[in-house]
Amino acid sequence: MPDLITKNAPAGDGETPAERVVVPEPQAEKPRSLGLDAWHDLRKRPVFIISAVLIVLLVLFAIAPGLFTSVDPRAGDLSKHYLSKPNYLHFFQGDWFGYDGQGRSIYARMIYGARASVVVGICVTAGVTIVGGLLGMVAGYYGGWVDTIVSRFTDMVFGIPLLLGALVILNAFSVRTIWSVVFALVVLGWTQMTRVMRGSVITVKQSDYVTAAKALGAGTGRIMFKHILPNAIAPVIVVATIALGGYIAAEATLSFLGIGLQDPTISWGIDINSAQKVIRQAPFVLFFPAGMLSVTVLAFIMLGDAVRDALDPKLR
Amino acid sequence: MRGASQAKWVVAAVAVALAATACGSGGSSGSSNGAANAQGTFSYQSTEPQNPLQPANAMEVGGGRIIKTLFKGLVDYDPSNGELRNQVADKIETTDAQNYTVTLKSGWTFHDGTPVTAKSFVDAWNWSANTKNNQINSDWFSDIQGYKDVHPEEGDPTAATMSGLKVVDDTHFTIALNGPVSYFEYKLGYTAFSPLPEVFFTDPAKYGQSPIGNGPYKFVSWEHNKAVTVAAYDKYAGVDKPKNGGIVFKNYSQAEGAYKDLVSDNLDVLDQVDPSDLASYKTDLGDRAVDQAQGAIQSISFSLYADDWKPENLAKVRQGLSMAIDRDTITKTVLNGSRQPANSWVAPGAMGYKDNTCGDACKYDPAKAKQLVTEGGGVPGNKITVLYNADGGHKEWVDAVCNSIRQATGVECVGDPKPDFKSSRDLIKNKKVDGLMRTGWVQDYPLNANYLRDVFGTGAAANDAGYSSPEFDKLAAEADKATSVKETADLYQKAEEQLAKDMPAIPLWYYKTTAGYSKNVQNVKYDSFGDPVFTQVEVKQK
Repeated sequence: MPDLITKNAPAGDGETPAERVVVPEPQAEKPRSLGLDAWHDLRKRPVFIISAVLIVLLVLFAIAPGLFTSVDPRAGDLSKHYLSKPNYLHFFQGDWFGYDGQGRSIYARMIYGARASVVVGICVTAGVTIVGGLLGMVAGYYGGWVDTIVSRFTDMVFGIPLLLGALVILNAFSVRTIWSVVFALVVLGWTQMTRVMRGSVITVKQSDYVTAAKALGAGTGRIMFKHILPNAIAPVIVVATIALGGYIAAEATLSFLGIGLQDPTISWGIDINSAQKVIRQAPFVLFFPAGMLSVTVLAFIMLGDAVRDALDPKLR
Repeated sequence: MRGASQAKWVVAAVAVALAATACGSGGSSGSSNGAANAQGTFSYQSTEPQNPLQPANAMEVGGGRIIKTLFKGLVDYDPSNGELRNQVADKIETTDAQNYTVTLKSGWTFHDGTPVTAKSFVDAWNWSANTKNNQINSDWFSDIQGYKDVHPEEGDPTAATMSGLKVVDDTHFTIALNGPVSYFEYKLGYTAFSPLPEVFFTDPAKYGQSPIGNGPYKFVSWEHNKAVTVAAYDKYAGVDKPKNGGIVFKNYSQAEGAYKDLVSDNLDVLDQVDPSDLASYKTDLGDRAVDQAQGAIQSISFSLYADDWKPENLAKVRQGLSMAIDRDTITKTVLNGSRQPANSWVAPGAMGYKDNTCGDACKYDPAKAKQLVTEGGGVPGNKITVLYNADGGHKEWVDAVCNSIRQATGVECVGDPKPDFKSSRDLIKNKKVDGLMRTGWVQDYPLNANYLRDVFGTGAAANDAGYSSPEFDKLAAEADKATSVKETADLYQKAEEQLAKDMPAIPLWYYKTTAGYSKNVQNVKYDSFGDPVFTQVEVKQK
C-alpha cells in the first residue's frame, strides 16, 4: 500500500510538472493528489534527500554485497588476523575496518549485515501495515461489536512487552532465520497500526463523499478500498515509516540478546554482541556494526519525519 | 556419581567457563618471601553455602571448600601431584579390591575434644547414605554393600545401616563393596566420606549451622550472606598442619568486586579472576597472579547414537574433524591463554595422565584433515552443528572451532546455542542431539579412571556420546579388577588408546586456574581442583 502513494505515484506523474513549469495552465486543470503534493514537498527537503541516499545505499548493500567487497564475511584467520587493527587508508579492502575476535573482516561483515536488517525492516513494516491496517479498517468501518472485539484484542496484544513476547515466540523455533524474526515482530507489532488506522477510518467515514457513495449504492468493498483507504492511509504510512527504523533496532536487539538471528546469518546485532566482550582490547570491533546500525535507524526515522511533514502539514 | 559430576559441572561451567579471556602464559607463585605470622588470618573469595554445613551435603564450591577445611577423611590427595596420602587412616588393606580393612591412626580428635573412632566413620556414612536424610552426595556410597537397603530408588529405606560396613574395634572397620572397585580408596578422599562426631546425631540441622569436624580448621562463625570464619585447630593430627591462624570466607556476589578488593589488598586470596579483568590481571598482580592447569577438560562429542553418526567407518571423519581444529591458535587468541591445548582425554595432574595419547589426531593439519574426512566418506549432509549452552561463555570458541573446521575441510559448521546449561544438558542427557555437542568433565577425584570409565564406558552416566566399544569396556574391566591403584591407572592408559582409534569425543583443551593473591600472603598454591591449598598459605608479618 505505501508504495502506491510514495513511490509509484511520483514515478509516473512527478516528472511532468517539473518539465512543464513554463506552461502551467494545463496542469492547473488537474488537481494534485495527496501523494503528488507530498512528493513535491519532499524533493526540496535536505533531510529527505540525505536519508533517501543512505537508504538507497543500504538497499544496494542488501541486494548486492559483492559489489562492495570481495572478502568472505564468514572466513576468519585467527592466527593472522585476531583483533588486528583497522587500516583506514585501505579503502574497500578486507582490513579497512580491521578484524574481529574470530579473525573476520569487519568491513565485509558490515556490508553483509545490511541484508538482515533491511529485509527484516521492510518485511515487518509491510506485515504490520497489512495486518494492522486491515484490522483497523474493519474495526473503524463497521464499529459496534466488531470494533469492540478487535479493539479489546488489540489492547491485549498491545499489553505484551515486545522483548518478552519475542523471547517466548523465538524460543519456540529450533532454527531461527530472518523469517522467524519477521514473524515474531509482526505478531507483536501490528497493534500500533490497527489503532492508527481505526482512528483514521472513523474520521474519514463521516465525510460527505462516503455518504454520497453510499447513497449512490456503492458496495462495502468499493467504499472501503476506493473511498476510505486512500484518504485514511496517510497517518499509517507515517507511523510505519518511522517504525521501520524501530524494527531494525528490534532485530538487532534480539540478535544481540542471542534470541534473534543465528549464525550463519550475518547481523549487526550478533556482531555487536561478540564485540562487547573484547571492548577493552579492541573498541573498533564494536564501533563499526554499532555505528552502521545507528546510521540505518536514523536514516529511516529521518525519512519518516520528512514523510510525516509532507503528508500531514498540520503537524509542522 | 551421576548427580555429583553433573551438578558439579553446573558450578564449574559457570565459574570456570566464565574465564574466557586472559593473556600470555607463564608460571605462578614465587613472590618475595617475608617472615610468616603463624597466627595471621587471611580472607578468601567465596559464596554463600547453599546447604547446612554437613559433609555429604555440599556439592557446590561455596560450601564444599569450607567443608574441606573443617573435615578430614581417611585419605586425601597430595595437592602437588594428586597422589593419594593417608590422613586418619593408618592403612587401608585389600586383597580383592572388594573387601577393605581400614586401620585408623590414634590421636585424631574432633574439634570438641572427642576422639575420632571407627564408629565415627561408619555412623557418618550410614547417616549420609540414608535416603531419609536427603544428603546431596549420598550416591557416593552406592559402591558399598547394602546401599540399596538404606537408599532404595523409591520409598522408605528397609534398613538403617549398610551391611557392608562393620566396626571391628575403635581403630578398625571393614568395608565390603558390591563388586571390585580398585580405585575405591581414591574415592575415599572425597569430603562425603568424612567422619562425624557423636554430637552431630543429636541434632543434625543445628549442627549444620555450627559444624564440629576433625580437619585442620575449626568452625568459628557463620554470618549468613556475609562470611564464614574458621580458625586453625591446634590439635590437628594430619600431615598438613595449617601454616596460618585461620580463614575468612568472604561472600562476593560480583566477581569484579572481589578482584578490586584483591588489588587493593582488602581480600587476600582470589577464587577466579572475573572475565573482564582477565586481560589485565597479570599486569595488575605481577608475580602474584596464578595461572596453572586444572583437573578439567573441554571436548566436543559426537552423537554416535544418531543415525547419521552410527556407521562405524566414520571414525576417520571424526579424526579428520579433530585435526581440522587449530587448538593452539584458538587457546592463544579467542580464549586468551586461559586454556591449555589438549592432546589426551585425561587432564594433567590426574594420576595416570599420559601425554599425547591422542597423537596426530589432535595436531592441527588442515590438508590431512580434509583428506581423512574425504576418505571416511564425508560428513553426513556435509554440515555439522555444535550444540552448546549460551550462558557459559562458550560462543566464541565454538564459533572459532567451527570456522577452523569449515576452512580446513569445507564442511559447513555452525554453533547451535541453547539458552542455558540446563536445557542443553537435558537434550544431551536424553540423547536427543544429532551432530556434535560441547561436553566436558571436571574430575571427581584425580585419577584417569574417572575421566575414562565414567565418561566413555558403555552406559556410564556421563557417556554423552553414547559410545560403546567392546574393546574399551574389556580393557576398563581389566583395569577395574587390578589390585592396586597404580596398576589400574596403567591399565586405563591402554583403554585410552582405544579412544584415539574411535575418537568418540574430540579433546580440545584443559582448564586452567586463573587467580591471584594479595601482598599480605605468600606461598599460595592451587590444587588440581582449582582450590587454593589453604593450609599452606602463609600470612606475612606486618
